[in-house]
Amino acid sequence: MRVIDLCEASEGTEVILATSSDEKYPPENIIDGNSATFWATTGMFPQEFIICFHRHVKIEKLTLQCYFVRSVRIDKSNAKEPVDFERWVERDLVHTEGQLQTEEFMFRDGNATHLRFVIKSAFDHFVSVHRVSIEGLNVSSLT
Amino acid sequence: MVKLAAKCILAGDATVGKSALAQMFRSDGAHFQKNYTLTTGVDLLVKHLAVPDTNDSVELFIFDSAGKELFSEVLEKLWEHPNLLCLVFDVTNEQSFSNCAKWLERVRAQLQGSSLPGVLVGNKTDLTGRRVVEASRAQEWAGSHGLEYFETSAKEMENFEAPFRCLAKLFHQLYRERLELFHSLV
Repeated sequence: MRVIDLCEASEGTEVILATSSDEKYPPENIIDGNSATFWATTGMFPQEFIICFHRHVKIEKLTLQCYFVRSVRIDKSNAKEPVDFERWVERDLVHTEGQLQTEEFMFRDGNATHLRFVIKSAFDHFVSVHRVSIEGLNVSSLT
Repeated sequence: MVKLAAKCILAGDATVGKSALAQMFRSDGAHFQKNYTLTTGVDLLVKHLAVPDTNDSVELFIFDSAGKELFSEVLEKLWEHPNLLCLVFDVTNEQSFSNCAKWLERVRAQLQGSSLPGVLVGNKTDLTGRRVVEASRAQEWAGSHGLEYFETSAKEMENFEAPFRCLAKLFHQLYRERLELFHSLV
């Protein structure tokens, strides 16, 4: 097995829920592989989005690119449906004036079918999430 | 088309008419509470407003705060992460006007760096003979603190929507500015 970009559209990964929706800045922009496009939140925190892989994967490295995020938590699930999330990692970010926040996470226990991102607080009234890229392995299809 | 959501803190001394104003706004002028009831802690009202000249709207979550609590710590938790401020005083009560500075300071202490768009509202303009705070003085104070000024009479149903419409517009403007900022980052 080789390490691949698990967010590539050809791999079938989707954002299946987001708590904010401006049709001009949809959550699909998070996993389109392009840092120039983004999902914008539309007010009040926490805000969430859920990424569904539609298969079992093993995540090795995750990179989050965003702006104005103060505190984020990532939960994961191994269920077929987006249920039974367990807390995985939580981190406070540093504000980087005028440039994207780029946050890397490395994992050993990366087995998942879904990831839930909870943006708990922010440095401003709104945040943008430009890109989530996830490197890892395809493990098996959902049975 | 986008629907924004904003937490709006309604603050000011007790009996200046915060709840009357909020109830009036929520019910589109159908409900003026004639009898005074003291708000304890916070009442939450939700109201949906269209932003003129756009397809967008703002859902205001109005946190009507207890005026008695100026020096209590109860509000700290309830006021976390505010988006907008509606500061109210009674034009017939000098003290309620001078206390606005303290209310403003307390709300702004909740902010961690970000700005807080807001309005100052002089209520009870129907009591013309008893007015002690002139519009020009309130206007000047509001301007020097980055607030827009409005006068209302919740009792006479005058102008009660204007401050909230202004807040919705300010929040929408802020959102547009942030989108431009996000675009400029890459």
